[in-house]
Amino acid sequence: MAKRTPSIDTKNLTAVQLMELDSCVRCGECVKWCPTYAASGGKPGLAPRDKILRWKQFMNKSYGFKAKIFGPQEIPQSELEEFKDDIYGCTTCGVCGTVCEAGINTVELWEALRTNLVKKGIGPYGKLGAIPKMIKQYHNAYMLDQKDRLAWVPADVKIADKADIVYFTGCTAGYKQLSLAFATSRVLNKLGVKFAMLGEDEWCCGSNPIRTGQIGYEQVAHEAARHNVEALKKKGAKKVLFACAGCFRAAKIDWPRLLGQELPFEVVHITQFLADLIKEDKIKWEKSINKTVTYHDPCHLGRHVGVFNAPRFVLSHIPGVKFVEMERSKEFQRCCGAGGGVKAGMGDLAVAIGEARVKDALETNADILSSACPFCKRNLSDGRDSLKAHIDVEDVIELVAEALGLSTT
Amino acid sequence: MTFVQVMIMATLALVIFLYGLMVNFQKWGTGVTGYNLEPQAGKKGSAITFLKTWWKQVTAESHHGHGILETLILDIVFQRRILKRSPFRWIMHLFIFGGWMTLFALSGMMFAVEMIEKIGIELPFTPDVFRDWLSIPNYIFGYILLIGVLIAIVRRLFVSEVREASITYDWVLIGVIFIVTISGFLADGIRTGLIWSFGLDPSAAPPAALFHSIFSLFFCIAFIPYSKYIHVIAIPLALLANKGGE
Ligand code: SF4
Ligand code: SF4
Repeated sequence: MAKRTPSIDTKNLTAVQLMELDSCVRCGECVKWCPTYAASGGKPGLAPRDKILRWKQFMNKSYGFKAKIFGPQEIPQSELEEFKDDIYGCTTCGVCGTVCEAGINTVELWEALRTNLVKKGIGPYGKLGAIPKMIKQYHNAYMLDQKDRLAWVPADVKIADKADIVYFTGCTAGYKQLSLAFATSRVLNKLGVKFAMLGEDEWCCGSNPIRTGQIGYEQVAHEAARHNVEALKKKGAKKVLFACAGCFRAAKIDWPRLLGQELPFEVVHITQFLADLIKEDKIKWEKSINKTVTYHDPCHLGRHVGVFNAPRFVLSHIPGVKFVEMERSKEFQRCCGAGGGVKAGMGDLAVAIGEARVKDALETNADILSSACPFCKRNLSDGRDSLKAHIDVEDVIELVAEALGLSTT
Repeated sequence: MTFVQVMIMATLALVIFLYGLMVNFQKWGTGVTGYNLEPQAGKKGSAITFLKTWWKQVTAESHHGHGILETLILDIVFQRRILKRSPFRWIMHLFIFGGWMTLFALSGMMFAVEMIEKIGIELPFTPDVFRDWLSIPNYIFGYILLIGVLIAIVRRLFVSEVREASITYDWVLIGVIFIVTISGFLADGIRTGLIWSFGLDPSAAPPAALFHSIFSLFFCIAFIPYSKYIHVIAIPLALLANKGGE
């Protein structure tokens, strides 16, 4: 009789990650903080602890002590399918890793597990599989014409052909959340910052395929990194500005890793850039925003990269702003619900998480819930609308534009 | 029970432990050596692959600036990640961890003294005198361990969210430590006739000591790689690889 082969394999899972599965002591801390688990009403399979236990059991059945002696034990396809659904019910927010007592790097683990399942033909979840194909074909996830990358640019905005500073708009701000692009470009103009843009040479940053385990799909993520870096170099970039936390994370962490080398320019979030200008006393505010503002840390800007203070510094320097913190903030923030493919794949779950985050903001009695990412803005707005709550959702850059007397439309 | 028999048992426990550890290393070694890679076709999991990958990650630059020494002291010995989350659970864990490690070290010292005497090297004290010296620290750390284990049991029984999430895998861990701790107190109590003797005849002391020794050897050493106890190896290794974690 032919020896049974294991039902799973270890593609993309590092030896250290496999060890991490065995370091989980099931303390349950991650379960208390997980936003998707909470928003699902406590669906057991979504608990990070449970996902770790299940893959650990799969590993033991396939490669453990008994498997070594008696051969691998078969894992029913239905169990693997169910596991896949649960591993995609995760925004890759990373709070489970922040609170994990065993120091498990959970985000890397979830992404590696997704990639593993995609390679096995089990993942990705639902329609997520279409996104890398669209990116491959259109170089953006919205199937829009690359020629229209700069179609939003209003007549009053001046963009240099080449400059030390390049503004990387991102697909969402450039095609969908235009007010962020208006605000960013006008603020830069107003502050006398000469900047260039990539236009149709700007490709999707690759974040979605990476986060959803489709990094291997026809090299789409590698190509995105390679192409964008080359295009940015051609523009003369020494500093690249991002107003989208997802693109920022991709450029800061994923691009160098995919390319195997440091980037030849600095990757800076717009809030960091503005905070530096404020410190140098280079911003002359023109208007007061007499509102109470709270701030939601985008996971990809805060926990993933560690930018917590710059957006707060900017907000608290806008005249008239009364800044208040939500109870869950900075590294313990609750995700908005949009990341990790959840918005695209499990819309209802995303909105439920968005609602929870809006409720966090309502508790502070703030007038404005701000963030620093177009994706967060979109899902927080959806959460707010579904709650029919009275709170404005505005990006930090929009508030800065307003305080500088600029229009965001 | 002769010393030789205990030696045989200890060796056996150690062999079972080492074999289990090797199986785990090999299981972990089925993983890949870096980001976004695939295992080589036909290559079996190897302990060397695991150790090399782990070392590569340990020696890689930390993205949050934590050094190895800081991780070793603050995260592994002091367990600050648990403290940050729950001071109560931290005390419990530190009592179990501290009590356990110290008793393990004291038993090791006792074993070493007996061994030295058996092979004929003269020491300025006899094993019995040495045992008496150790009795106070043994008691102190035994009670520290006992308190930690009792807190763990009470939490699992009476805190509903902990109870509901507990599976056999969790209970075995606590149950074994509880039996080891209680049997240690009993063996010593019967021998000395002090508290924990429960009026038992001193002639019951050798079998009680035997039970405690064998149980400890097999369930606290040999059993580690085959149970949730593996975390005592995996967590420090994970913390070092991740420089203390996120
Ligand atoms: S990354 Fe966030 S959403 Fe995903 S399992 Fe962890 S806490 Fe839950
Ligand atoms: S916080 Fe870490 S150790 Fe605790 S249950 Fe979650 S994954 Fe396991």
